[in-house]
Amino acid sequence: MKAYLGIDIGSISTKGVVLDGEKNILAREYLWTEGNPVGAVKRLLAALRSQLTGAEVVSVGTTGSARKLIGVITGAAVVKNEITAHAVGTLSLHPDVRTVFEIGGQDSKIILLDQGVVTDYAMNTLCAAGTGSFLSSQARRLGVEVEDFGRIALTSQNPTPIAARCTVFAESDLVHKAQIGHSREDIIAGLCKAVVTNYLNNVAKGKAIRPPIVFQGGVSKNVGVVRAFEQAVGHPVIVDENGHLTGALGAAILARRSGKEAPFSFEIAEADFKTRGVNCGRCANQCEIICVYRDGKLLDAWGNRCEKGTVKA
Amino acid sequence: MKIGIPRALLYHYYGPLWEAFFRALDCEVVLSAPTTKATVERGSRRSIDEACLSSKIYMGHAEELLDRCDALFVPRMADEREGIMCSKFEALYDLTENTFRDRRPALVDFEIDRRAKKGERKAFVSLGKKLGKGRLASNLAYFSALRAFEEDRSRRAAALEDSLNADKFKFLVLAHPYVIFDDYVGRPLVELIRAQGAEPVFGCDADFASCLQASYRLTESLPWSFSRALCGAAVLYANRVDGIVLVSAFPCGPDSLVNEILIRRVRNRPILQLTLDAQDGTAGAETRLESFADIIRMRREAGHER
Repeated sequence: MKAYLGIDIGSISTKGVVLDGEKNILAREYLWTEGNPVGAVKRLLAALRSQLTGAEVVSVGTTGSARKLIGVITGAAVVKNEITAHAVGTLSLHPDVRTVFEIGGQDSKIILLDQGVVTDYAMNTLCAAGTGSFLSSQARRLGVEVEDFGRIALTSQNPTPIAARCTVFAESDLVHKAQIGHSREDIIAGLCKAVVTNYLNNVAKGKAIRPPIVFQGGVSKNVGVVRAFEQAVGHPVIVDENGHLTGALGAAILARRSGKEAPFSFEIAEADFKTRGVNCGRCANQCEIICVYRDGKLLDAWGNRCEKGTVKA
Repeated sequence: MKIGIPRALLYHYYGPLWEAFFRALDCEVVLSAPTTKATVERGSRRSIDEACLSSKIYMGHAEELLDRCDALFVPRMADEREGIMCSKFEALYDLTENTFRDRRPALVDFEIDRRAKKGERKAFVSLGKKLGKGRLASNLAYFSALRAFEEDRSRRAAALEDSLNADKFKFLVLAHPYVIFDDYVGRPLVELIRAQGAEPVFGCDADFASCLQASYRLTESLPWSFSRALCGAAVLYANRVDGIVLVSAFPCGPDSLVNEILIRRVRNRPILQLTLDAQDGTAGAETRLESFADIIRMRREAGHER
């Protein structure tokens, strides 16, 4: 049976799915990237292989911030940006979706769709205010596990207003509110609300938000934020149990749609991959060129701004 | 006499005019090399942190030329046709002189300030005087330079028309010429656009006068001439392209207002806004441009009109 592998490799987590020709999930895996994308993909492939019987991967798609590196290593047919991959993946789960909220560890985005076609999107700017990393640092300050945040937030009757525009201001506001006697659950609910306010005022600024709305990314596991979203936009917000796999799903579907097939072997989980940064000194740009080697042999290289730095495999 | 011209800021627009003027007066023109990482680093060391990326790059180019010419040409421009210039162009001469005070630079200034009745021709005649040339010689040099400049402008306008007629995806790129035509900042971005199979259409190459005229359909009150011309390009060409890409150098005062106006008022085409800083990687721009191209392609395939 022909199968299609999609890998979504982000800065925090690595996700993989194997689909058959009918978009049924044959295997899935989710693990931490731990700052080592090559190592994470090797572990991912080993885990996926153990779940498969009688399926032959004929095409690979990669997405996420390490998509290029992992695309080279796996000989991917498709290397796609996260926005397109997420849109395609979400559509496969919810064909009628109109709005996708996504809040991850470092970035957040909104994707608007109309009759199955992406019509608009926006991403956060460089600042990580209001993303997952903001919530986890505040959880640490309050001495609460971030996983418990949502549950605690739901017990609040009166969320404390917290300035959400900037992480630095939010933090000093939070300390102030705690010192004057606001309860912990009210502050936590206030933080969840602050994330939503920040998102709607920055990333989703000026966008028409129409239902059905799907919420994805690590922060979507926080029920406090989900409820704050529902109250703010006045519509139900869907959180899919496979929400974390959407990018990988999209990559696998795009690989299948590409029609490009090439032999793929899970053996690469055992191969020795090395990457090396080389400083090209051929002109004043001093480009840092990344070379990727498999068992000592150069696979590919990139990072040069001009042809002087071209490294041929 | 060797005149040094930094390959930065308005050189990317007025270069042909300036070069032709100096050559007509028998001066040798020395240009700084195209921007590299080293230029940006040199310029950043010589600038305050709040200066925009393009101003920092200018200082890097100016420093490169200090020992390679008899005098460095630094224009001061307060206004341009129907509007004012960003204040950095008004301050450029003083900024350059003070930045390199320790090197005692020989600068030739050139001042355009129409509100103070200092138009372009007057500015060139007084520039010629500083170089020891008479009124007649300078006037003649100015008129021949003007011809060279107008030839360059019409060549660019013709190339723009060709891009608009290309049988490809088209992105209208709205950016200041010193951002998008800079070798280090803009060129990689233009290559990324081409790598998406799209044809870049450079709004800043359009006929200035027609753009200014069209811009009033978008905004009555915008003060900056060059920004107004870009707004005009959006009015004139939005319907002939598939998407619009706004490219700004961080932090650009005029762009922070103008981009917002464009996003709110040009509603018939998808718009992507990219802000460039001195950061090295193009990964962020690549993700955004690629997804932008995908969206437009998917809309087309789904039968949405363009």
